[in-house]
Amino acid sequence: MNVETTRFGPVEVDDDRIITFPAGLLGFAHYKRYALLQPDEEGVFYWLQSVDTPELAFVVTDPCLWVADYQAAIRSEQMEELELNRIEEAQVFVIVNKYDRTLTANLQGPLVVNIHNRHAMQLVLAEKRWTTRHAIVELAQPVHAASA
Amino acid sequence: MLVLSRQRDETIMIGDAIELTVVDIRGDKVRIGIEAPPHVPVHRKEVYEAIRRENEHACALTDRALHDLAHDIGADRSGGKSKLEGTATPVRRETA
Repeated sequence: MNVETTRFGPVEVDDDRIITFPAGLLGFAHYKRYALLQPDEEGVFYWLQSVDTPELAFVVTDPCLWVADYQAAIRSEQMEELELNRIEEAQVFVIVNKYDRTLTANLQGPLVVNIHNRHAMQLVLAEKRWTTRHAIVELAQPVHAASA
Repeated sequence: MLVLSRQRDETIMIGDAIELTVVDIRGDKVRIGIEAPPHVPVHRKEVYEAIRRENEHACALTDRALHDLAHDIGADRSGGKSKLEGTATPVRRETA
């Protein structure tokens, strides 16, 4: 399907690559369908682009690249909701943010995707160990911010 | 806001499928038990709010330059391997 995006223009996405969040993301409950865009082959940051609205997209990354012992605890009823039989069938992403020159990852609200049916949810972790703004990269030079 | 008084072990019903029970009262701390269908998320509000705010801040990022920069970081970190397949699964089943 063709997905309109404000950041990348129109993007062609295979229908079976669409990730569905039945409950959406926190604060974005109505937007349930996303496509994972990988701007370049070697990048560590992907864009989770809403297919329902062109301007809604999040930078996401694999938390294992940044935090060696990161683990998201998922409850049985959440696994059932995602039709996850084994935790090995889950892929985890975390949403990336930028504060001044620091890129941070929201480790407290990870996104868990069932790699088979591509259903996903945003977890809210209770462990105080993981914060919403875990610093992952200090930018060496100012990046020209297009947003406030 | 609807305000109801409950004693220990008493329950409030929200709709047909959600129940809140006062499990314990100790000093100024109340332990509340929640029964809700799996598709209804239940969170401490301040944590929910923190994540929601992070989401809202995050989707305001329109920085295309971010991923050019990320390319350099990624090449260092990954050695150019594909990330989507084959990474260890950082998920564990929560017990109780």
